[in-house]
Order: sequence, then structure tokens, then C-alpha cells
Amino acid sequence: MSIFRTIKTTALAVALVAGGFTSPAAAQDSGWEPSQPIQIVVGFAPGGGTDQTARLIASAAQEFFPVPLVVVNRPGASGTLAAELVANAEPDGHTLLVGGGSESTSVPNHRQTNYALDDFKGVARVNREHMVIVTKTGSGLDTVEAVVERANENPGELAYGSSGPGGVLHSAFLVFAQEAGIELQHIPYQGGAPALAALLGGHVDMTIITPGDAAAQIEAGTVNAIATTSDRAEQIPDVPSLSELGYDVNLENMKGLVAPADTPDAAIEYLQQRFQQAMESETFETLADRANITPGYLSGPDFKQAMTDMSDSIGSALGDTPKEQ
Amino acid sequence: MDPFTQALFAFGEPAVFITLICATGIGLIIGAIPGLSVNIAVALAVPLTIFMPTDQSLVLLIGLYGSGIFGGSVSAILLNAPGTPASAATIFDGYPMAQQGLATKALRVSLIASLYGAVFSVILLVLVAPELANFALRFGPVEIASLLLFTFFVIGILSGASLAKGLLSAAVGMVLATIGSDPMLGTPRFTFGQTSLMDGLSYVPLLVGLFALAEILDESTRGFSQSIQKFSLDSEDRERNRVSFRDLKFISLPVIRASAIGSAIGILPGIGATIASFLAYGDAKRASGDGSSFGKGDVRGVAASESANNAVVGATFIPTLALGIPGDAVTAILLGALVLQGVTPGPLIFISNPQVVYTIYLSLLFATLLMAVIGYFAIRPLAMTLRIPKIYLMPSVALICIAGAYVARNNMIDVWIMLGAGVLGFVFNRTNVPVAPLLITFIITKPFEEALRQALTRSEGSFMPFLTNPVSLTLTALVAVAFALTLRRDLKRRHAVPNQKEE
Repeated sequence: MSIFRTIKTTALAVALVAGGFTSPAAAQDSGWEPSQPIQIVVGFAPGGGTDQTARLIASAAQEFFPVPLVVVNRPGASGTLAAELVANAEPDGHTLLVGGGSESTSVPNHRQTNYALDDFKGVARVNREHMVIVTKTGSGLDTVEAVVERANENPGELAYGSSGPGGVLHSAFLVFAQEAGIELQHIPYQGGAPALAALLGGHVDMTIITPGDAAAQIEAGTVNAIATTSDRAEQIPDVPSLSELGYDVNLENMKGLVAPADTPDAAIEYLQQRFQQAMESETFETLADRANITPGYLSGPDFKQAMTDMSDSIGSALGDTPKEQ
Repeated sequence: MDPFTQALFAFGEPAVFITLICATGIGLIIGAIPGLSVNIAVALAVPLTIFMPTDQSLVLLIGLYGSGIFGGSVSAILLNAPGTPASAATIFDGYPMAQQGLATKALRVSLIASLYGAVFSVILLVLVAPELANFALRFGPVEIASLLLFTFFVIGILSGASLAKGLLSAAVGMVLATIGSDPMLGTPRFTFGQTSLMDGLSYVPLLVGLFALAEILDESTRGFSQSIQKFSLDSEDRERNRVSFRDLKFISLPVIRASAIGSAIGILPGIGATIASFLAYGDAKRASGDGSSFGKGDVRGVAASESANNAVVGATFIPTLALGIPGDAVTAILLGALVLQGVTPGPLIFISNPQVVYTIYLSLLFATLLMAVIGYFAIRPLAMTLRIPKIYLMPSVALICIAGAYVARNNMIDVWIMLGAGVLGFVFNRTNVPVAPLLITFIITKPFEEALRQALTRSEGSFMPFLTNPVSLTLTALVAVAFALTLRRDLKRRHAVPNQKEE
């Protein structure tokens, strides 16, 4: 083992690492190249689910990009502050938003925002998180049928906790209530965790949560998972979906990358290809598995369509309800 | 080997121990910088932990969390700028003490109180976590609204020399707190179309402006003159800054009460360390009898505030571990980090992963002890900050204030809020209107409004639950008694010295 060999090995390692930054793995040429660092804007503080998606995809995709991918947190107003910023950003392919959640599909239906879903183009969907309606064990509300029956007997008595007014959790109950023709009371909390605490304390009758967040309670038997709001979730395969039960509800919390609507197609294509490659990489698979997120790649246009469908179904459930100004 | 011994042995590993030392040290520094909160430190450390073993990642995150809260008191005492919102109540007596050359003593008292509060809550966590967590769940909107109303009165009425000025300040705080979104409907209020204001005015910029910037503006009108040498290193100074046995006896009762208050608040979801420290401060002041020395550099004020906010740390782990429901923003992030490690906190964690539970207990305990050791040696050098001539120190602090306001949310509007709050604080100081009630009502109004309206929505507008609920009824009765006593004291005082000019 000579010192030269050590130097050589080191040099090779350096070259490999540097190579990751300078020569992106072969992807088809779309005629567009990023010329400066790409900002991935997150509408929430570091540490939340959206932030996690951003950091996972950025670290997995970095090796495919010749420029750094920078995650920027611009928290505020349930993610709408960041959405507004990106909607109005220079549409040159260097500014992306982690969208697909409440700020894209739900909030603009409830209140006036300085942007609309159509101000964005989809780049790639990264993950989709199921949502599941849970009730407290022993409350007698073990099935969707029981909930509907109780709600019909006492209109407006059953209360659900949400993570905040206008969010996708709130909307999911609105869509469900409209489909089932029942009247429910809405009690918003500052996030999903306090809403779950309120359910366990008996202060509300139902809430919606991701299967991952509910896992501990379901396992311990303190809550009943009665239905998912899209299709069946892998973590809780025995729980039916609302659509199986005959209620036309298809809502979930999606996370993916979107760009300002005027971003050139060549740039979108370039970005989409590389994010798709990243999601197929082993790094991403490992990270996603550890972080307990459900990967669900969709191409830009498909992602946009999925968002539009959800937004429309929420919009029609709200009907003529005037928007909060 | 049983899980406890296994967890204990893990701390013998150099990697784990070194991580704990680094995390505690870094937590202290980040906590001391206004604007860089504990939340940010913990959140940014989470990606580092993905490929670490469970015990190492836990000591890293818990070390940052535990020491960060103490770190916040350092800048509160030395610079009048709380490093974390939880240390806001430490300012009231900590900064006056520093002004009197007792900075070292204030920091020592803060350290002792922090240590006590943290250990107290860890013991509580170890002994009764599952039982307490389930009890706390029964606290619904009605109870929380009554508790916050009680807090308003305990602190609001009892602070400040003049009731009228105190109420004026409190009213301004309440108005400022209504800026933002309606908690039930999401309707923007007083945001003037600014999306940045939808979440309301942020804590940190407001705090930093009201206290630190206001103080800097005040100093600037005096040309940053250095009237007295802040403190010297001679023996007389050392003697004054010593924390004697008498001091310890003096602060023991407030510290015990504050630790209990902090632990109780920590268990309840969504109230937090800031309100706990205010509540404990108000309690200590009330319990002291006349309370006239509070706000002028009373060690008990520093002790109460700091033991309460550190007691919250251990207590927030109670719902986090036992129910899988995070007690505050930091434990929410920690919960995410545990999931990354393949551990799901919840009612079954004590059976399925006892080793993780013990590692958390021991990390909290060791982080606290290490914080005490590092803090002990750091206090004197830190206190030297005050020997820097004001003409250099103050502009540097102003710069930190601006940077701190910006980094909290990467938003320019927070800098303007900070500057505005600074001017407001300056005007208040000049007109002898106390700033504290403004801050306290600002912090309490939002959760109070939320809980009140949740309760009223549930009862369809009826106030009956507040009268039929035993917790609520007790607290309301206490408010009435406190109000009557204050009124009587005020009238008596006015009677005794009718011509005394208000301070």
C-alpha cells in the first residue's frame, strides 16, 4: 500500500464526486440547459412532510443535474405564500414549487388567492399520501354506514376535526358530506396532530390522517380506520375506500414539482426527465422507504390533470358558497 | 441484557457521547442567536440522522433541543433580545440584573433553574408518562380557553404599576394578534392583501423589536455613553455574582412551582414553552407578596421563567411518546425523525421499543447535565460580552436583530415588523407604558380565540359548557378572585397615597 495508491484512490473519488456535478448522466437532449442553480421552493417550515419530499427528491436528483438544486423554505399562509411567489417567478425553469397539496387543489377553492392552479405547469409528481377517516374506538362509529346513519339521525351534531380551514383535510370531509347527503360540523385545529389529540380526547367524532401517522393508534386499537379517501392504502389493506362504498370521493395529498405556467416546454421536458431518473434511482428508493413516503411518479401533464380533477371535485362540493375574501 | 442497561451502555460509545457533546454545544449557540430558533436547528439536523444508528440520532436531536432553550436565556439576559420566544419572560428581570452588573449571577440562576426544570420534567416523564398523557387528552377547547383566560388575568392585571397603562398595552397586543387569518374560516384580517401577513405578525421579529431594538434606540439617544463600567473582574464583583446558599433557598419555591407549571403546560397540546414561562413568572410574582422587586432584577423572576420553559421540554415528550401526538413543533420534527428510524411512537412503544424509550430518557437527562457543565464554564466568558463598549456592541446587536428577523421565515416583511416593533417599544418606554402586557396578550390571544371559538362552535354558540365544566368553573372563579384582589390593592394604594405620581 503505497502513498501513491492512496492519492490515486482519493483523486478517483474526487473525480467521481465532481463528475456527479459536471456531467449529468445521459438523458435525452431537449435543447435546454439550466444556467444557474435551480430553486425548489417549499411553502412550509423545515421538518414537515412537504419539506421532506423536497429534500429527498433534491438529494436523489442532484447527480443528474449540472447545477446545484437548492431547497428554499418560504413558509406562510398554508403554503399559499410560496405558491404565489413561484406563480409570479421568472418562468425560465430555474424556480420550482413543491405543489400538489392543499395550496394547489384546495385552498384556492375556499378563499381568494393571488394565484390559480392554472398558473402552474406540472413537472413531475413525486409522492402521494393516502388519507384515511378515523373515529374513536368505542364511539359506535365503526363504519361509514354508522357515521351516515348517526348523521342522519342528528343533523349537524357529528363533528370532524381538520388541520385548518381550507386545507385538503377540510375539503375531503366537505366532499364526503355532500356525496353522502349529510350535515357535519367542522372544527379546525392548527395541524393534523392536535386534531388527532382532539379525537382521542372525545372532543370531535372524526378526523382524517395519513395511514403512517395513524399507524400507532390503529395498532393499539384506540382508533378505527373506517375508509380511505382515494384507493386502498398499502399500509392498511383491509380498510375500504369511500368510492368502493359508493361515495364518489377521490382526494389525496400529493406532492410533486410544478413550475410557473409560462416555463418553456423544453425546460419542463429536461426537468421531468431528470426527476424521473432520480425517482428510479436506488438512492431515492432507499430514502423514500426510510421516510415512509409513498412514491407515485406521474409525468407533468398527468400530475396537472390529477390536481385539476381534485380541485374541480372540491369546487363542486363547495358549490355556490361564496369564497372568503 | 435488559433494555435499560442496553440503552445505558450505548452512551459509553465514543461516537454517541461525542455527538451528544457537539449537539449540546451547538444547541446552546443556536439558541442564543435571536431568530435562529431551536426548531430550525432540529429540523436541519434531521436529514443528517437518516443513516445514523437510532441512539446516535436521538442524542443529536435531543441534545440540540434541550440546550437550545437554555441558550435562549443567554441573549435575553445579556442583550435584552430573547434567543428563543420561550425566553421572553426571562428578559423582565434578567436584563435589569445584567444592567446592575449581575449578569453572571443571572446566567447562573438561569442555568440552575433550567437544570432543575428539565430534570423535574424528565422524572415526571419516566414515572407517569402514559397516565398523564391520557389525562391531558381530556383537556378540550373549553378547558384550554378557560386556562388561557386565567393566564391573561394572572399576568395581565398583575404586571405594570398602573392598571390603566397595563390594560392599554394589553389592548394593543390583542389588536396586533388579530392580524392574520381567522382561525375558523381562514378569512384574512387586517392583512391589506399581503399574503405574508396571513399567518399574523411573527413572534421573533416582534419580540426582538420590542425589547432589543427599543433598547438600542433608547441608548442611541444617549449617544451610547458608557456611564459605568458594566462589571469588572475584581474580587468584589466576583463576590456579588456568587449564587449563595441563601439565594438558592430564596429561589427554591418559585423554581419548584414553575417546574410544575411548565410540566403541566408541556403535556397539554398546543400551548407551549412561551406561555408556560409567562404563567410561571406571573405566579412567582404573585406568590412573592408585593412583587414590587419584579421587573427590576429579581432573581426569582429569572428562575421561574427558565425552570418553566425547560420543564416544558421533558413534558412535551409525554404525549409524543405515549400517544404519538407531538406536543409542539420541535417534538413534531422529532417524531418524524423517529419514523425515519423505523420506530413509531404511540401507546405501544413502551412494549415494542422499550430501548428507544430509555434512550430518549437518558438523552434528555445527559443532555441536561452536559448543558449544565458546558454552561457553567461558558457563563463567565459570555458575560464578558457586556464589557464591549456600547458603541460597538449595540450596532452589532442591531445587525443581529435584522438578520434574525429575516432568517426566521426568509421574509423581508419580518424585518419591517421588527423595525416597527422597535419604534413602538421605544415609544412605550418613553411614555412609561409597560411592554410586557402587550407581548403576553399577543401570545395568548391567538390560541385563546381558537379554543374559544372551537368550544362555541361545538356548543352552537352557548356559553353553558364554561359554567358546567368543573375545570373551567374553578379557573373562572380564580380569575374573579384575582381581579377583586387586584382592584382592592389598587384602591387601597390610591387611598393611602392619593397624590403619589404614577411611576
